[in-house]
Amino acid sequence: MYLHSRVYAKMVAMIKIERSSRGALSPEAGAGRRARWAGTASHGRAATPPPGRRLRRTVLALLLVPPACLLLSALALLTWGPGGSLAFLIPVIAALAVWAALAWPLAARIRRELTALARQRDAFYEELLRLSRAASLGEVASSIAHDLNNPLAIMREEAGWIQDLMRGGDLQGAHTQAEIANALKQIDIQIERSREITQRLLQWGRDSAPQTESVDVNLLLNKTLYLLESELQAAGVRVVKELSPGLAQVRGGAPELRQVFLNLMKNALDAMRGQGGTMTLATRPERGGVRIEIRDTGPGIPAAAIEHIFEPFFTTKAANEGTGLGLPISRWIVEKVGGTLGVESREGAGASFHVTLPAGETLPDTGSGGR
Amino acid sequence: MEVGMTRPIRLLIVDDEQRLVETLSKRLTARGLYVEGVHSGPEALAVIQARPFDVALLDVRMPGMDGIAVLREAKKLQPLLQVIMLSGNASINAAVEGMRLGALEYLLKPANLDDVLAKIEEAFKKKRLEEEHLASQRQAGG
Ligand SMILES: Nc1ncnc2c1ncn2[C@@H]1O[C@H](COP(=O)(O)OP(=O)(O)O)[C@@H](O)[C@H]1O
Ligand SMILES: [Mg+2]
Repeated sequence: MYLHSRVYAKMVAMIKIERSSRGALSPEAGAGRRARWAGTASHGRAATPPPGRRLRRTVLALLLVPPACLLLSALALLTWGPGGSLAFLIPVIAALAVWAALAWPLAARIRRELTALARQRDAFYEELLRLSRAASLGEVASSIAHDLNNPLAIMREEAGWIQDLMRGGDLQGAHTQAEIANALKQIDIQIERSREITQRLLQWGRDSAPQTESVDVNLLLNKTLYLLESELQAAGVRVVKELSPGLAQVRGGAPELRQVFLNLMKNALDAMRGQGGTMTLATRPERGGVRIEIRDTGPGIPAAAIEHIFEPFFTTKAANEGTGLGLPISRWIVEKVGGTLGVESREGAGASFHVTLPAGETLPDTGSGGR
Repeated sequence: MEVGMTRPIRLLIVDDEQRLVETLSKRLTARGLYVEGVHSGPEALAVIQARPFDVALLDVRMPGMDGIAVLREAKKLQPLLQVIMLSGNASINAAVEGMRLGALEYLLKPANLDDVLAKIEEAFKKKRLEEEHLASQRQAGG
């Protein structure tokens, strides 16, 4: 991983905010964790009271009012007794009036708190996404540099071999001539190979520009796969594609969705690194959209870990190999466009991540390039 | 076993880039080394088990069995074999792991042949010293 330590510290600070707001909404979260959260020791609950706690207090207050009113009414009824005048209604009406007066601002406050929470969460993930994209660009760059160094090494040896032959003297011999021609041809082959590799980097840069609102899933999966091709090959991972043709375009930006696919494929790759296996990419139409599955034949995810894998910074990988950001960011990205991200896995039986994405509206937008 | 300074260095090149192995072999053979080349980890181990080598030039990233795994096994088969790792990227992890397992050097591709040759000769010298040391120990012991 190529995370700058300053960037990393920032991420760690952010997870604290995230965790405190999540902790407020689900009381059981944050208790009894065993696995490692990258870079965060369990010390230090956030010092400032999280907005979530205020929210809970408000909801509680609002819920307590109706029972209080009922109690008042019952008391009034008892005090005045049956057969009395309708005067016993006075406190009841008064209580309801008080409740209405309270409920209105309280409800507004709840709404405010909720949007504040949602906004905070969005800001958190936007920032994570930005950071992780920088990190994965670094990864892609490093992978490409690696891929480029092999053809460079070959070209250097071919050129060196020609020099060796020239130093040897006899340049006219048929054998020497053939050797030189062969070396030159090989240099050309390696140049072509290098060109394809640099093309990938250019592709990455191009797709990163903010752009269209709808995406061809199959195309994007193939492009993403291309980025990891040599790494998959080196890890002994076979790729099987079950891509259904004629799918609807889906909602979402290509750079974000590519990040999702890249994260899922990298996880599959990591899971099978060393022992090899098969990664399956499957797509098919589903009610109003597309379903994508990325399956692997790795070791799977233990039951104890599976409930945590979507939490930021949860990772079972070594410190310099995993950040625990891939899945939470991916889930946030697909949920933002109205999709879902889920997983099925059993220990020892591989993992299957599925993404659903709603079809993009075919807006008659700018008019240019309409398909 | 041959004696004297004239014995050629026995070098094994392990890299999944077949053309690299081929051309490096030609160039190093022309410089007086005895060179064998293989293209995968299992092939390398088979050859190392079959005959002795002085130095191995070992690629780190190979499909299936990677260079680190090969290094680990090779050292068990021939403890005196000197290993020079050759990698396409500067992975600190792989370098540290390689050194920990007894690799002598960690060179980056594309390496300069003169540098590679210098390292190979250095490795060979080191191996000769270790062999002599072992021999004298054995004499002293017996
Ligand atoms: N395909 C998979 N097979 C097994 N475990 C997985 C898989 N995908 C994710 N995981 C588990 O989920 C954890 C979190 O994944 P992620 O959020 O992508 O972070 P990271 O990959 O950086 O660890 C991983 O550390 C791993 O334990
Ligand atoms: Mg990941």
